Amino acid sequence: MSTIIEVNGLVKQYKGAKAPSVKGIDFAVEQGEFFAFLGPNGAGKTTTISVLTTTLSKTSGEVRIAGFDAEKEARRVREKIGIIFQQPSLDPNLTAEENIRFHACLYGMCGYRPTFKLMPAAYREQVTELAELVGIEDALFRPIKKLSGGMQRKLEIIRSLIHTPDVLFLDEPTQGLDAVSRRSLWEYIDGTRRRYGTTIFLTTHYIDEAERVDKVCIINHGKIAICASPREMKRAVRFDPTPKVCLPSLEDAYVEFLNGGIVA
Amino acid sequence: MNELILERKRSRVFREMNTTLTVMAREITLLFKSPSTLIMSLTMPLIMMGMIGGNLMQNMAGGLNFDFGGFMLVGMLVNMLFMMVSMNMTSLVEDRETDFNQEMLVSPVSRYSLVLGKILGGAFGAIVSMAGTLIVGLIMGITLPIGKLLLILALSPLFCLSGGALARMLIGFIKSKKAANMAVMLVTMPQMFLSGAIIPINHSDGVLMLLARLMPMTYCLDLARAVVNAGTPEYDSVVMFNPAINFAAIAALTTICLIVGTFFYARSEKNR
Repeated sequence: MSTIIEVNGLVKQYKGAKAPSVKGIDFAVEQGEFFAFLGPNGAGKTTTISVLTTTLSKTSGEVRIAGFDAEKEARRVREKIGIIFQQPSLDPNLTAEENIRFHACLYGMCGYRPTFKLMPAAYREQVTELAELVGIEDALFRPIKKLSGGMQRKLEIIRSLIHTPDVLFLDEPTQGLDAVSRRSLWEYIDGTRRRYGTTIFLTTHYIDEAERVDKVCIINHGKIAICASPREMKRAVRFDPTPKVCLPSLEDAYVEFLNGGIVA
Repeated sequence: MNELILERKRSRVFREMNTTLTVMAREITLLFKSPSTLIMSLTMPLIMMGMIGGNLMQNMAGGLNFDFGGFMLVGMLVNMLFMMVSMNMTSLVEDRETDFNQEMLVSPVSRYSLVLGKILGGAFGAIVSMAGTLIVGLIMGITLPIGKLLLILALSPLFCLSGGALARMLIGFIKSKKAANMAVMLVTMPQMFLSGAIIPINHSDGVLMLLARLMPMTYCLDLARAVVNAGTPEYDSVVMFNPAINFAAIAALTTICLIVGTFFYARSEKNR
């Protein structure tokens, strides 16, 4: 496996801020890996993901995605990545399909046509199949305003994958979704990983969602505290005074870690 | 599910042009989905041309040695283009508020293609207003020969680009839609008088003349009037500069505004 995300000494200090939000972090993600970037509110997760996705400039350090420098070769990086932002970034006035069409055209996947019927057959087939797969085929031609939060999230997933990115960044993708929507979303993302070998970079507050990942990094106060597999993390937890027979959940390990009960 | 068939087009030029077309099409789609905006585009000429222009024509036109109706109609046509395109550019701030801006900014295309698409999309709404102005003019008994009208129509994308670039530069630093709307009004309203859309500015001097010279609309108006009045005895009374000077000034001011505006558009998002 080759390294697809390389972060070395990344520092980000916002204008007017007294201290950096991200304080010289290093980590790497391998191609095809499912990577979770966890941490409490204000730890620096979204700042890091913003720098990695070229939407925020760094103060210092080096970030390379798929071999390209995120600052100097931002356009090449953008071609390689897909993003689902913390807040939905759909145009509420357009229909679901129009949002996908807009994205596909901006990524150069096809020439623009004014209606779905006039779009190339490959586009129509792919959009229809993806919509069926995530169960939003009936909502494809409805305005975004009329879709539920879960449907909007599924639509964002379709949109972010239409250009087959090498890396998919998911910034709290299930925030505000009900349990059923969360589960079907993860089934689809798992399927996508298996099918295309897409590298997934996830940030989430639902720690149970990170149980399935290959590697977890915890960031706290702008610094990487630990990078390990979920199993290694669980093993590192010291539960006092009563030792548990089974391994704790990742959430147990995460909470214990933030409370200072982990042996890194 | 079948394997992916869609493939990224390799030509960079195609992708940039496609981006501009896509963004432009989105603006036009949004216009048709918003009947109130469409109605406003058609109503605005009634206020500008019908009420302001009509009043001026009744009270001022008498002592002038040229056809004030024709002068004002050309002025209003160009003014409406500038005003509507500028107002449409504030939707960039709205896109920021709805986070749709992020979707555009993470796409692997030039920011100039995005801004250009926005301006040209806004130009469509502006041309709708232009049609409204012509209808109001017709009701008031003011018309233009079809040939001259087509020439103005041919120049209208240039005028829209100029107005859009100016608006882009002005709202480059503004984060709220309300403030952006105010900023646009603060420029478009004085511009209408300073640039000579409805009153001649041949005798302006001092600060007013300086401001007029700095506004791209002054040159757009003058170029439009040069086209309409070419070969007529009124030409020297209504046209201030050589059309080549107008064209050069429009090109220079538009380029400066577009570069500065787009630079700050991209920078304000990234350099926080």
